[in-house]
Amino acid sequence: MENEKKTDSREWELDAETEYRFELDPGTSLAIKLVQGQAEVFGTELAEGKQYLFGSECKASVFTWQGCVLEISHPSTEYVSEETPMATYANLHIAFEQMRVRALNAVHGSPNSDDDSDANAEPPRVLVLGPENSGKTTVCKILTNYAVRAGQDWSPLLVNVDTSEGGWSCPGAISAAPVHSPLPTCSPANPLGSAATSAPTALSSNALLPLVYWYGHTETKRNPLLLDRLIRNLGDNVREKYDADPEGRASGIIVDTPSSFASSSSSSSSSDHRHTLIKSCVDAFGINVILVVGHEKLNVEMQRTYGSRLSVVKIPKSGGVVELDHSYRERVHNYQLRTYMYGQVIEAPPGISSATLGGETMTDLVLSPSSVVIGFDDLTIYRIGEESMAPSSALPIGGTRILSEMQPVLIDPAQSGSGLLNAVLALLAPLNPNDSERYDEEILDLNVTGFLIITSLDIQSRKMTILAPNQGSFAGRTAVVGSFEWQDQ
Amino acid sequence: MSLYSQNGYGHMSYGGPSYTQTSGYYQPPAAPAPFYHVDPNTFRRDYASRLAELTINSRPIIQSLSMIAQEYTRFSEIVAQCLEAHIRRVPHWMKLPGLYLLDAISKNVFEPYAREFAPYVIPLFLEAYREVDQNTRSKMEEMLLTWRTGGANGKELFGVVPQVTIERGVWGGDSGQADPTSGFYSGSGQISKSQVLSELEFTLGQKERALQANPYDNVSQNHLNVLQQLRKLVEAGVSQDELRQILNQLRSFSQSTAPPPLAPAPTSTPASTSPSYNGSLYPRPYPPPASYSNQGPPPGFPVPTDRPSYLQQPKTEQVNITSLLPSSQLASSSPSAPVHSAAPISNITNLYNALLKAGVVSASATPTGAGETAKVDESKPEPVDLAKTTSREYRRTILSQKVKLSSAGITKTRPELIHFLYDRLPVQCKQCGIRFADNSVGKKEMQDHLDMHFRQNRKASQNTGRGHSRSWFIGVDDWIHDVSVDVKGKGRTDGHRPLNAKAAAAAMIAKRDAELRALYVVVPPGDEAKPVSCPICKETIKSEFLEDDEDWVWKNATKKDDRIYHATCHAEAVASTNNLLAARLRNELASGSRGGTPEVHSSRSTPPKHGVRSSHSPSPQSKPGGTKRKVENEDASLNAEADGSPPMKKLALES
Ligand SMILES: [Zn+2]
Ligand SMILES: [Zn+2]
Repeated sequence: MENEKKTDSREWELDAETEYRFELDPGTSLAIKLVQGQAEVFGTELAEGKQYLFGSECKASVFTWQGCVLEISHPSTEYVSEETPMATYANLHIAFEQMRVRALNAVHGSPNSDDDSDANAEPPRVLVLGPENSGKTTVCKILTNYAVRAGQDWSPLLVNVDTSEGGWSCPGAISAAPVHSPLPTCSPANPLGSAATSAPTALSSNALLPLVYWYGHTETKRNPLLLDRLIRNLGDNVREKYDADPEGRASGIIVDTPSSFASSSSSSSSSDHRHTLIKSCVDAFGINVILVVGHEKLNVEMQRTYGSRLSVVKIPKSGGVVELDHSYRERVHNYQLRTYMYGQVIEAPPGISSATLGGETMTDLVLSPSSVVIGFDDLTIYRIGEESMAPSSALPIGGTRILSEMQPVLIDPAQSGSGLLNAVLALLAPLNPNDSERYDEEILDLNVTGFLIITSLDIQSRKMTILAPNQGSFAGRTAVVGSFEWQDQ
Repeated sequence: MSLYSQNGYGHMSYGGPSYTQTSGYYQPPAAPAPFYHVDPNTFRRDYASRLAELTINSRPIIQSLSMIAQEYTRFSEIVAQCLEAHIRRVPHWMKLPGLYLLDAISKNVFEPYAREFAPYVIPLFLEAYREVDQNTRSKMEEMLLTWRTGGANGKELFGVVPQVTIERGVWGGDSGQADPTSGFYSGSGQISKSQVLSELEFTLGQKERALQANPYDNVSQNHLNVLQQLRKLVEAGVSQDELRQILNQLRSFSQSTAPPPLAPAPTSTPASTSPSYNGSLYPRPYPPPASYSNQGPPPGFPVPTDRPSYLQQPKTEQVNITSLLPSSQLASSSPSAPVHSAAPISNITNLYNALLKAGVVSASATPTGAGETAKVDESKPEPVDLAKTTSREYRRTILSQKVKLSSAGITKTRPELIHFLYDRLPVQCKQCGIRFADNSVGKKEMQDHLDMHFRQNRKASQNTGRGHSRSWFIGVDDWIHDVSVDVKGKGRTDGHRPLNAKAAAAAMIAKRDAELRALYVVVPPGDEAKPVSCPICKETIKSEFLEDDEDWVWKNATKKDDRIYHATCHAEAVASTNNLLAARLRNELASGSRGGTPEVHSSRSTPPKHGVRSSHSPSPQSKPGGTKRKVENEDASLNAEADGSPPMKKLALES
């Protein structure tokens, strides 16, 4: 019996503690099957014998602790690496497990078995900082996945304040969701699992329930005051959530941040804003561990600022992290919006008929958005801050900029040059019905219900067509526009 | 294959011609007729997939896997790797068959397999031992004892160091420091009761089999009696000194009475020193030690000083085990002269007599003294306690890890930490790879998990062609008061893994539904035979005899204005006329849809204002004085069961 191999698939035998890395070109997909042994993708274990599908220019790796054999359909770029920081991450995980266990013991009033009795009983609330392409999101994902795999019913809260990534929703948003099961990897459009749909899903990680706020821009320096406020809003709700659930609190928090938090820029104003925003996160989420991914200078800086009151730990970045250019990030934003509306669609490579996509069957993640025509007056649309703002630094100290940066500005779709065509809108939760609680900037504190795209504007008849993820009436609702556009190609 | 079939392999003999006395030590078959042409990768895949079938203690499978290993000794490294991976991966109840295979291969095809397995046999055995249940442990102990003499020339199968280390891991003893020169006969260190008991069991087993073979053997019968007395004695509890004495006597006794390894012959009787596979016994596959004497010294047996890698040729070293033994045992332990010596027998009898005299044991064989209260307590824990115990155990183990949360502290590699991610949770879902503990709690969780897959798959197939869509994001209040907390109950270890808010809401609906269905109306006397149909669905309402009340009743029924309704139909009708939401929620959940108007309400920092009584449902309902109340006021009888009121805040989410 000579070896009969599928035309395009190859077998890779990985030694213990090595990883197989791949990068996909646009329009290509890849299927990986674990033939033997154990393997995991960013901390999520693969089931043996299942075809796992990857697409949308996914760049990922399959790591094995004890060695494995993989069968792989052809990717664009691939290699095996023996240099991985996984042992370090595993140790981190154990350290965090100890914190969780102590915290839970404290909730139950049971003593800790170890002699380290003076160790405090706070769960890990971790802020992950690092420059661009350092693999921050990967670290967050691995640590979250290891926590849910412990079999202790932990459900760590994963927080995304990386506005260039968007977590479970759209780029420009910040969000937080408790995670109960491992987060799958299949595409950069769903880096942290998927927000809930009406489709049945096998993994709860594909039906996540994030709390979402809308910042509206990629760049944190564009409106740091707004971002600061949103981070603190998110933090308030996290605190309230855990006040109501002390056991859940023991699972801890993991916060992914934008790379601008780590970028050492010469301009003092941008340095100011990033320090302000790091501090917003530390305060808002009660951070007690800062992880600095592969950045000595930042590590020193954080040690100096926070070293006395919380743990600052430098961790190595993975050698597998790929440099991502601007156009790649643009394409990923496009994938994300498409996936938000239409779900995850990846064509299987030739010869693969059935495969799992992020833990679900291939067709489960296909979604149908709805397109509705509404009147201009049905939806109230705001932009936060003035359209063209001079940089904060150009203002005199104590100037009125603060007001205008946070000022909701009403947008009239009938005005030519409103910039609304193809704009991404965040539909906000309804205003508080209690009139006495009304205040000027209330809409800044409203969370997001969903995202809408204005696909056409008819100024003459004062109507616009809106692409919405789901059916519904928008009468009397409020939406906020940011700086993102998307066209359904 | 011909190699085996001509020997009547199937039943007893592993050896085939290569085990004959004249050929001496095992040599690979000169020209094994390959039944297919293989390259290493194909062989690996093939062997691994055959191994995967070894899920139960199946003699035929163990035999055939052992045969393949014998035929393909050139792939011994692959066999070793596959077997290790298999034993590590499988859940605890599948470990023993894998270990039996390892035992069989290394005894039958000692060279090169024992050498291949030696580097990992210590952690493999000990890790498996830690995971398995008590019954399997005693089988493993039995196997371990056979390894003492299972190797070439009656030596340790995998070498002195592995043998000593494993025995210490199993029975305790000098903690940690494996000193090969002290051997396992060393009198120093603590001897545990369980060690002595398991060796007693082992010797007893030997005797019992000997007696079965020869029922009129009075000597064996006598030994059996003495050994049984000893077992009772040890079970009741004796001192360290006595344990050591008993152990020493036992060992010399057992060594001297163990029959010599048998030459392979289709008709050979089961040897006493092999563990039993599936109740029956494996033959001793080795040529009698005498055959070695003609050939000069047998091939050296590796004594790994470290953990050599697969590729490394371990250092070869001769260890004369007899030199390690107390002199009294020399005579009887010489493998070339197995004698049924009288000395050990008298030893053991003497010991017993001495104990008898000392009053430790009474002539009626009932232990006296303090031992009486020292009964081994191995009552089975309840599942709940088990869950608590396992999670307590987990916490203790986690806290015992020496990891310091600092840049330097986390860079030290500790590969054993992987235990927490894989080995500790050996039950794995084949669909998605999620793991569960290997105990009753884990099995329950796994069952629920598989049910979930089943339901999801069924829903998915039913929903084909129906458009799905992204749900609206959750509102602040729902997010803060995560519904999953509600269904979770008090403990986090109760195994209920909340899927999502939808599942939680579905659970509430199901509960309410069950409550409605439990309602009944007593059939008026004389009306038993009268068919009654529900005015809403027009179907007949089923009647049933309640044993306890000795009444005929209509099940799932409620009486309104002298008419009998299905309780479920009525509740739904009331809900649909007065409150469309409940019915819609029911339908939405039933169809798995989450469409509807995006009315997720944000009332952060606003306390619940209107009267939904469920404590977990601060209602974000937008219209004050919601219609829910109206339902309750209007319909007093529904009021009672509506207490587990529909999760109004989920309505907001779902609708
Ligand atoms: Zn599963
Ligand atoms: Zn009915």
